[in-house]
Amino acid sequence: MSGNGMVITVGEGTCGIAAGAPEVTELLKKRFPEAEFKAVGCLGMCHQEVMVDITNPDGKSYLWGNVGKKNMPKIVRFHRGEGEIPEQLLIRSSDETETEKYQYLTKQTRIALRNVGQLNPTSIEQFRARGGYNAIEKVIKEGMTPEDVIEEVKIANIRGRGGAGFPAAIKWGFARGAEGDVKYLVCNGDEGDPGAFMDRSLLEGDPHTVLEGMLLAAYAIGASKGYAYIRAEYPLAVEYFGKALDDARQSRLLGNNILGSDFSFDIKIKEGAGAFVCGEETALLASIEGERGMPRIRPPFPAIKGVFGKPTIINNVETLSNIPWIINNGGAAYAKIGTEKSKGTKVFALAGAIKRGGLVEVPMGWTIRQVLEEIGGGSASDRPLKAVQLGGPSGGCIPDSLFDTEIDYDAINATGAIMGSGGMVVMDGKSCMVDLARYFLEFTQLESCGKCTFCRIGTLRMKELLTKICEGEGTMEDIATLEELAPSIKQASLCGLGQTAPNPVETTLKYFRDEYIAHVKDHRCPGGVCKGLITHTIIQKDCTGCSICERYCPVNCITGELKKPNTWVIDQSVCINCGMCVEVCNPDAILAA
Amino acid sequence: MSNASLEATVDPAQVQGWITTLGKEPSAAVPLLQAVQRAFGYLPRKAMDLIVENTDINASQLFGVATFYAQFRLDPVGRNLIKVCHGTACHVQGADRLNTSLRHVLGITDESEDTASNGSYTVEDVACIGCCSLAPVMLIGEQAFPNLKGADAQRHLVKHAKTVSEILPGKDGGENPKSKENKS
Repeated sequence: MSGNGMVITVGEGTCGIAAGAPEVTELLKKRFPEAEFKAVGCLGMCHQEVMVDITNPDGKSYLWGNVGKKNMPKIVRFHRGEGEIPEQLLIRSSDETETEKYQYLTKQTRIALRNVGQLNPTSIEQFRARGGYNAIEKVIKEGMTPEDVIEEVKIANIRGRGGAGFPAAIKWGFARGAEGDVKYLVCNGDEGDPGAFMDRSLLEGDPHTVLEGMLLAAYAIGASKGYAYIRAEYPLAVEYFGKALDDARQSRLLGNNILGSDFSFDIKIKEGAGAFVCGEETALLASIEGERGMPRIRPPFPAIKGVFGKPTIINNVETLSNIPWIINNGGAAYAKIGTEKSKGTKVFALAGAIKRGGLVEVPMGWTIRQVLEEIGGGSASDRPLKAVQLGGPSGGCIPDSLFDTEIDYDAINATGAIMGSGGMVVMDGKSCMVDLARYFLEFTQLESCGKCTFCRIGTLRMKELLTKICEGEGTMEDIATLEELAPSIKQASLCGLGQTAPNPVETTLKYFRDEYIAHVKDHRCPGGVCKGLITHTIIQKDCTGCSICERYCPVNCITGELKKPNTWVIDQSVCINCGMCVEVCNPDAILAA
Repeated sequence: MSNASLEATVDPAQVQGWITTLGKEPSAAVPLLQAVQRAFGYLPRKAMDLIVENTDINASQLFGVATFYAQFRLDPVGRNLIKVCHGTACHVQGADRLNTSLRHVLGITDESEDTASNGSYTVEDVACIGCCSLAPVMLIGEQAFPNLKGADAQRHLVKHAKTVSEILPGKDGGENPKSKENKS
């Protein structure tokens, strides 16, 4: 290796790049032209992006968070031995105990995410150095039969992480026993839930683990062909997974006679085209076949008759990422983690009104409160947290009174929400639960494929009623209609989309009924969100007359004389309550209520 | 869509090239449309017709697929594309204000329009792009901008317009509100 022995590692996942990682790398390259630069996937501490790990020539290493153009000189001076250690940016150093920030990672149990952020996702060598492809080697070299693999996964008792929680080994057993000259294994990376990014992080941060999971699953069910169905919105995931496929083929880990055995399997990438319903397995199959992604009636189940009419297993990215660990460490070790009926760990994408958002992997059986407080660090503001939304548009809102609910498929179902794929969006008092329900119904209504009448029209009616309530035009009868529609839509829909679409409405009505009533009876939005129910006024005593609100107002409804605070007014007949003025007002002189 | 000037010129040889690489069978419908959209930013009618004529995909399937998936658009796109993320995290943190703000400087007032009258920019809503911890987020082209307020979105757009020499037809002709503030 040339250079001076300094190694600089920058987190370059999608979120790192969005936060400015390429610019940070460029600047560091100018400052330390001798250093060796490495890129790694997202470590999952999204709230600390951009993250940079710098190892000095003497071997001491330092992990810095929130690195940007402005604070970089401090870090540069420190590494040149010219300045004090910028402690407020430090996450971890090799010669010191970890900072509180680093506990975000140390408190987690990382199985699916074991390599994410630890290696360069485009390097098969680094993956192998961390024990990658040991599981498939073990299976082939020790002569484990497909049944042995299924048995190990059965002992682990891992349930599908895509949302429904069906035991993976049972599903595999169906396909193993199914008749067919060709069988398919599909990796479902169509992570369409707004608020979820677990699969993205895995695919772009550790693509080889997903690939190895696919190899093991294919071996178990006897599949020779595979598809990785990845959302087109994740270009980096598509690129890195494609690179992983090429490298694995070169290493004879993919293709004909894998590792010299008679097991042959190859994978093609199919890019999704932006349809939430394609996360549903039969819709996904239709999409692979080049059709509109509309669900099909089951049975026949895909395990018997799937893509192109052949037996097909569809597994979620996170499920597959756990499989190599299970084979390496044994199903029993996996089953030790978790609760009686939900084994192992679950990855969540923590976001919203939380201090420390990002990727979180914890054992099943942790409580929601533990995740929010011990890892998330609690509320980002001084307002207390009021709810978490789990499972995206198919899930529900869990109120703070139920934050002690265990993370367990059945315990979460009992609240009316679902585990879902792992989106966890946190809300405080500044969120409106009616608006949130409206947001999700608008989403599901748009994404409904239109096949089932109740889903197609029922969700539209729900959205209309919720919009009416948000605009302050709702009646108590509308609330009753929503409650009547919900079970009908669930019962009369073919697939998971319609069957779960009313969940956000039902759970908010159950736990936040007072907010609905405030909208209907008092014409008031307690969260201060619904535009039809708030007005913006200027607090004269706080106004400085700077006129910035006037410049940003999109409808020119704010007038006054420059530097004369008492002259500024908002013309209510024109104001659209967009809130731009509140955002730009420095002295907080605009009230939205 | 009124922007006739943004219509793409389709070269039949290019379409034929995609068909040769991606296949003629019905399962190639989505990848073919993706190739077309990648090249032109939308699906020009001419390209669609060429696919129908030269593959086993019939018009009903092709248009069915094109109108089903959110990724595809049948209208020409502006010279620059802005994607505003409307995932849950972005929504609860005020993604709507980004749209209001961007449309304002672009002078897009008609709700059914998403492209500025001079064809400079198109503002599109997208479902979650998966950067939830940096919400709200928007993309101008490939570049992502994190943790935005409505005003920030406007500032980034004004800056971007300068670097690519586009004129913003909205309020103040796209003059940076900040710079005006400094003058006063």
